[in-house]
Amino acid sequence: MATLAADPEDLFAPEVIADPYAYFGRLRETDPMHWNPRAEMWIVTRYEDLVWLVRHHELFSSAVIKTDRRPPHPPIDAEDGPLFDRVKEFRSDQLVEHDRPGHLSMRSAVHGYFTPQAMEGWRPFVRAAVAELLDEAAPHGRMDVLEALAAPLPVRVITQMMGVPEEDREHLRHLADRLLYINRGEPNRMKLLMEGIEGMIDYVSPKVDERAATPSDDFISVLASAEKEGVFTRHQVLVNTALLLFAGHETTMNLICNGTLALIRHPDQWERLRADPAGAARTATEECLRYDPPVKSTQRIAAQDVERHGKTIRQGDRIRWIMAAANRDPRAFDDPDRFDIRRKPNPHVSFGAGIHYCLGASLARIEGQEVFRALAERFESLRLETEELEYAPSIQFRSLTALPVAWS
Amino acid sequence: MARELRIAVDHDLCMGNGQCVFLAPEVFRHNANRQSEVIDPAGAPEEGVLKAAGFCPTGAISVSDAQTGELLFP
Repeated sequence: MATLAADPEDLFAPEVIADPYAYFGRLRETDPMHWNPRAEMWIVTRYEDLVWLVRHHELFSSAVIKTDRRPPHPPIDAEDGPLFDRVKEFRSDQLVEHDRPGHLSMRSAVHGYFTPQAMEGWRPFVRAAVAELLDEAAPHGRMDVLEALAAPLPVRVITQMMGVPEEDREHLRHLADRLLYINRGEPNRMKLLMEGIEGMIDYVSPKVDERAATPSDDFISVLASAEKEGVFTRHQVLVNTALLLFAGHETTMNLICNGTLALIRHPDQWERLRADPAGAARTATEECLRYDPPVKSTQRIAAQDVERHGKTIRQGDRIRWIMAAANRDPRAFDDPDRFDIRRKPNPHVSFGAGIHYCLGASLARIEGQEVFRALAERFESLRLETEELEYAPSIQFRSLTALPVAWS
Repeated sequence: MARELRIAVDHDLCMGNGQCVFLAPEVFRHNANRQSEVIDPAGAPEEGVLKAAGFCPTGAISVSDAQTGELLFP
């Protein structure tokens, strides 16, 4: 039986999921502003273009979900059309789906919570949580980095920030797992996603009432007070609490897994980190972010017609920009495919850039630094238990499905 | 009259993502290395300068009173 020829425009093809660097790197060198007819979107891969794009937020709207009239890609189960509409309604209230001026007032309301100074206050909590998780794993001589460390750590941190009791962690982790189906390829993803969304609404709603009556210093209180001031509607409070859980979960998971994998695959760099774990953790984390970023790409929608590289992007066109390709652009980085934990300068775009720059970047950095430091302090060497690593079929996230390692 | 400010951008920390440039374009701009630089410390009211400094995701901006040297941010 003849097999079908692989479609070079299939962004979910197994080889593109396995190695986005080869696929998007080729586009970066041959057609940096590429129209993908199958996904009906522009693919932007050069560093310079990505920076230009994010700095022109007036040309490229973030209100993608509200504005985009096209059907879901890849297709979803036929009976899930109404679910898709509800997911759209929910997600379009996220802070990240807003343009100025609304975005600025929403971001201002929550920004104080996430400044580098404020997040430093969380470092001791993160350090203790990392130590506790590694203590649990240590006697076994092996662990799935994802299950033992990368997934539970951000859930612990976020549930603490939300001010929810420890016994609710597992429930929230289950909901966070469901929220991971955003921007995935599985046809049944709307059902799973909706379960996470409704679960979050049911869980968070009464908490918001509590915090509105008796404010505390947690994140839900910040949102509840912004609701009182008229910055957020109740729906937006619920949606953005879910966003915190979702946005801080998979991204951190991927930073930890992808970074650990890079360190294992580059023994010389592992040795450099081991030589000075506290001193090298900061630049090592930045290099992990650059080399194999947690988020491969993100999306905008053109607010007006724009010319670039002799092509015309039409108003309403979808544009997906690929941080994973821009971070390896030889025009922006020396020897870009080399993993160098002391790389400097390292102006990677893994947190985006411009007005939508990742709100949780400082927290992600602290989590990465504490994990890589602790691993290097604790283990002489880590080895992979399998070379058969798999990544989730997502266009947006670079998510390993497991990372089994062992030590002696 | 408003006091005079001294604004410093630590180029070891600045990654050029441009929060400050978008919030206070009369005070900050991107230089040729895509890092932020100060063009006019008096280009915006003090409140606006402090907000821009506070929005920096890498904590690269510090603001002080030019006369007394008192650190206003961070």
